[in-house]
Amino acid sequence: MTEKQPEPKTRPGVCIPWEERKKEYPRILGDEQVVKKVWEEMDDLAYQFIWACLIQF
Amino acid sequence: MSDETERLYQKRLERYVTAMQNEKPDCVPIRPFAAEFAAKYAGFTNQEVTHDLDKAFAAVRKCAADFDWDATVGNMVYVWTGLTDAFGTRYYTTPGIDTPPDAAFQYLEPPDEESAFMKADEYDELIADPTGFLANVWLPRISREVVPPGQPNTYRNNLAFLKGGMAMLHYYARYGEQVSRLRAESGTVHAIAGCLKAPFDILADKLRGFRGLCADIHRQPEKVLAACEALRPHMMYNALAGADPEKKVPIAIWLHRGCTPFLSPKAFETFFWPTFRKIIEDLHALGYQVLFYAEGDWNANLPWIAQLPERSIIFHVDRADIFEVHQAVGHKFAISGGVPNDLLAYGTPDEVRQRCKEIIDRVAKDGGYIMDAGAIMQDDTSIENVRVMTEFTREYGVY
Repeated sequence: MTEKQPEPKTRPGVCIPWEERKKEYPRILGDEQVVKKVWEEMDDLAYQFIWACLIQF
Repeated sequence: MSDETERLYQKRLERYVTAMQNEKPDCVPIRPFAAEFAAKYAGFTNQEVTHDLDKAFAAVRKCAADFDWDATVGNMVYVWTGLTDAFGTRYYTTPGIDTPPDAAFQYLEPPDEESAFMKADEYDELIADPTGFLANVWLPRISREVVPPGQPNTYRNNLAFLKGGMAMLHYYARYGEQVSRLRAESGTVHAIAGCLKAPFDILADKLRGFRGLCADIHRQPEKVLAACEALRPHMMYNALAGADPEKKVPIAIWLHRGCTPFLSPKAFETFFWPTFRKIIEDLHALGYQVLFYAEGDWNANLPWIAQLPERSIIFHVDRADIFEVHQAVGHKFAISGGVPNDLLAYGTPDEVRQRCKEIIDRVAKDGGYIMDAGAIMQDDTSIENVRVMTEFTREYGVY
């Protein structure tokens, strides 16, 4: 490759990054890591659905 | 599970893993992939096993119970209409819907640029955000139900994602049960875990189409290379998502368009090989093996394949000369397959016996070989010949 490619918009395993989602909450009063963990787990399932359609089915 | 069945499972697992590490087990392991053959053996039509998961799984379990196979796959008829029809997937013909109940499913490649699932000028969009491209552009094109962003939403669009997601969860949950039942009921090892595709194959199979991609490697080669590079970490991630946590059974890759006559060796080296090699090497560094299911004849590519790390792959031979493969890479990798599917379909039992003997004598003599057909077994495969392949290997393939 001769030209350097831009960084991908999202990483593998991610559809909507937590950083983007976090901005949509007015505030997080409790433990942010709990909210983040569950968001990312479910986001990963959506990612796997999309990519399994491409790779497996 | 009885203690006896579990002991059988452990013995088979050790035999299979030992051979895949290119070492000598107690005897030659047997690992056929039974697709429509399983339906035929169990007395089902292809339509039944494509539509009805219970029957698809039961057919494989019947094979596993009746044949002395060390390992197999829980379901090789991977088009389950519970998912594909609910989601409106366009690129399959389905037995019982588009084709007669006794036909096998087929993949349909879009015939021209206009109907391609990714257009020639969309590389930048794919490269910048592969997941977004798939969700926003590709899925609406490959589904009869899904509408692209910006278009009026529909009831059927919403249901396609709802039913598709539920169907996939259902399938994987049931698949986990199938793997457990194979172990508990017949002591059969699930042969693979995790699914990998080469970035170039993904571009050819599901995005640009092979003909479109062949034009692209001449008209916009830098874009093709950049797209393969953009897909590479996603292929890696998805392979690891389903891989065996104990790292005993390999991640499978079904290789499609890298061999002759599809690609010249030069095109293979330039476009197919760099990202694919990196994936195999990265998986090897993490402790995983890859079942290199080389569909067609890959022997023109052996000089490159020989560069892969020792034991990083199990080289599966379909239509190539297995003896040439053994000579070129047998010191580095275990080998499987090499029993031609047309021989299993139309040959005599004596011819099958002779072929198995020749492979065991010349390829398996020092270990590092797994008995299998050249490709997945469809319903033209003779039940008698599969029985002969299995029983002869058990009797003759003892070290």
